[in-house]
Amino acid sequence: MAVAVSRGFGLARPGWRANLDIVYTIIVSRLKIISRYKGMLLMEAFLPIMFAGFPLLLGFAIGGANAAQNFQRNTGTTADYRLYMLIGSCVFMVVTLMMWLIGYWIRREQETGTLESMYLAPAKRFYVLAGVTTYAFLRSMMIFVIALFLGSLAFGVNPLSGNVLLAFGFITVGFLPLWGIGFIFGAFILKIKEANSVIQLVQWVVAFLMGIYYPITFFPGWMQYVAASFPPTILNDGIRSSLLNIGNLFGGEWWVPFALLLAFSLILPLLGYEIFLQTERRLKRTEGVGQY
Amino acid sequence: MPEPIIRVEKLSKTFVSKERKKGAKKKKVVDALNGVSLDIYDGEFFGLLGPNGAGKTTLIKCITTLLIPSSGDAWVNGHSVLREEDKVRASIGCMLMGDRGLYWKLTGRENLNYFGALYHIPKGVRTKRIDDLASLLELGDFFDRTVETYSSGQKMILAFAKSLINDAPILILDEPTVTMDVPTARKLRALLKDLNRRGKTILYTTHLMHEAEELCQRVGIIDHGEIIALGTAAELKASMDRRDVVEIEGIFPEHVVGIVKALAGVRDVAVKAEGNGRTKLSVASDNSRVMLPKLIEAIVGNGSTIEYVKPQEVTLEDVFMAKTGRSLAVDTAQVGKQEVRVGGGGG
Repeated sequence: MAVAVSRGFGLARPGWRANLDIVYTIIVSRLKIISRYKGMLLMEAFLPIMFAGFPLLLGFAIGGANAAQNFQRNTGTTADYRLYMLIGSCVFMVVTLMMWLIGYWIRREQETGTLESMYLAPAKRFYVLAGVTTYAFLRSMMIFVIALFLGSLAFGVNPLSGNVLLAFGFITVGFLPLWGIGFIFGAFILKIKEANSVIQLVQWVVAFLMGIYYPITFFPGWMQYVAASFPPTILNDGIRSSLLNIGNLFGGEWWVPFALLLAFSLILPLLGYEIFLQTERRLKRTEGVGQY
Repeated sequence: MPEPIIRVEKLSKTFVSKERKKGAKKKKVVDALNGVSLDIYDGEFFGLLGPNGAGKTTLIKCITTLLIPSSGDAWVNGHSVLREEDKVRASIGCMLMGDRGLYWKLTGRENLNYFGALYHIPKGVRTKRIDDLASLLELGDFFDRTVETYSSGQKMILAFAKSLINDAPILILDEPTVTMDVPTARKLRALLKDLNRRGKTILYTTHLMHEAEELCQRVGIIDHGEIIALGTAAELKASMDRRDVVEIEGIFPEHVVGIVKALAGVRDVAVKAEGNGRTKLSVASDNSRVMLPKLIEAIVGNGSTIEYVKPQEVTLEDVFMAKTGRSLAVDTAQVGKQEVRVGGGGG
């Protein structure tokens, strides 16, 4: 029999304003936390430069003075292989950081007890996840910009000679599918309670599928379809084709990958959220989300 | 008669886990809660006591929606924990994990602001509430430092402040005074009494019997996933067979024992010679507080000299030991050695 007495909700004033406030407060709080680890963003920004540096030097060692021509001839893309790989590395960093940050966020909050604290609050999970994934995206975009700038100086390339506006458009629509992938990844970490090994494995699979150093046309036919239906691959290809003024995987028309990313933007966040909720519900039936 | 603001009805929770024994995996089924029913009234200060592994935490986790019960239901502030989770959570302020659940790289103020947002408190209201709490709990000195620099006691106070951020009608506190120094714990208890006086319903778990006696209007003892005793501290004590005992040492003429035995309310008197002409009387009565002045008057008025008086009332600790077969003090020292009843399954 239900309890009749109700004493209201104290100071809580739920509504869309409160939901936006949750997203904003989470982003600001997490940026404050990362800013208190001195030099972390700058150190992270060197990673994509290193990632690009290895194949560039290897390519130069093998291809010598003809490396650029060989790359253009073999891949059918551009002679500017340095910028090609730098962009690939920077986009990979954005994608992998989104997954790292979501995975580690769940795991760390389980360990410190803040996940359970969060679950005691009435905030809808969607807005909490939106806050965390937006923070992850902002952080990874900061690294993207710093790494692209420093990498361009280091490798002597100009990333601004192509269609920068279109590249920005790809980033904007590519953000939402990454949100969705982040939700799914978060659900997986919530379930298995282990982040390191999964992230280690997944990030190299992602790097492979995205074609950060090469076009995915190098893959066997079926694998090209798998890679091309993976949103980070489309995002990478879209940004790269815009900034390098080269054709894309889908026949050269910019709107095709753009429309595909837009479609993923509609599907993946909802799908990811649903998977997260289902996982959460299953855990609450068994051991609880805070168990680690 | 106040109405229940928390109602737990036939709540059960079974955990199924896998354990490895000699390389073989076996399914282990643990009944953490067995059809618990319980009402906590609006404005009540309710104490939940139980040994480790008795089901306290599981019950609280079900009430606060952290766990979904296997069967049964509970209503909090008029909302079902199964169907209206968000409304249940909005009705409660919680401190369940001691000083865990705080962001160490944020300051105390930033932590409260963060959790205030998660409780849907508008920014302006939140800022004022945080200032009020800082002043109420005297968070001044350390409040604007990052939590990583806090002492355990300071973290506990901040965790307590977090539970008050939404000013919810119900407070659920799990051992909030653990790791607090004595003055701080005393201040917190005074504050809790005041919050309760002003209408907050408080569900409180503690291992400290004096806290339960001081604070709680009613107490429930849970063991093996069942509520095994429920009532006011006085009711629970009265349910015991044991009587209060007062030990009186001194020099007593022989006839005094007869006079004491004849006093109304005295159940029994045991006499023990202590040497040097001194005697110890152990006087059993229904209520030592009521009897003590009468005893002293009767003994001193008959040419005796009293040197030492030691009342031994029935305490909640005695009730707890009688009901569970364990002492809370011993149980606290054995944290980690969980005792749970295996309810079946296997294979």
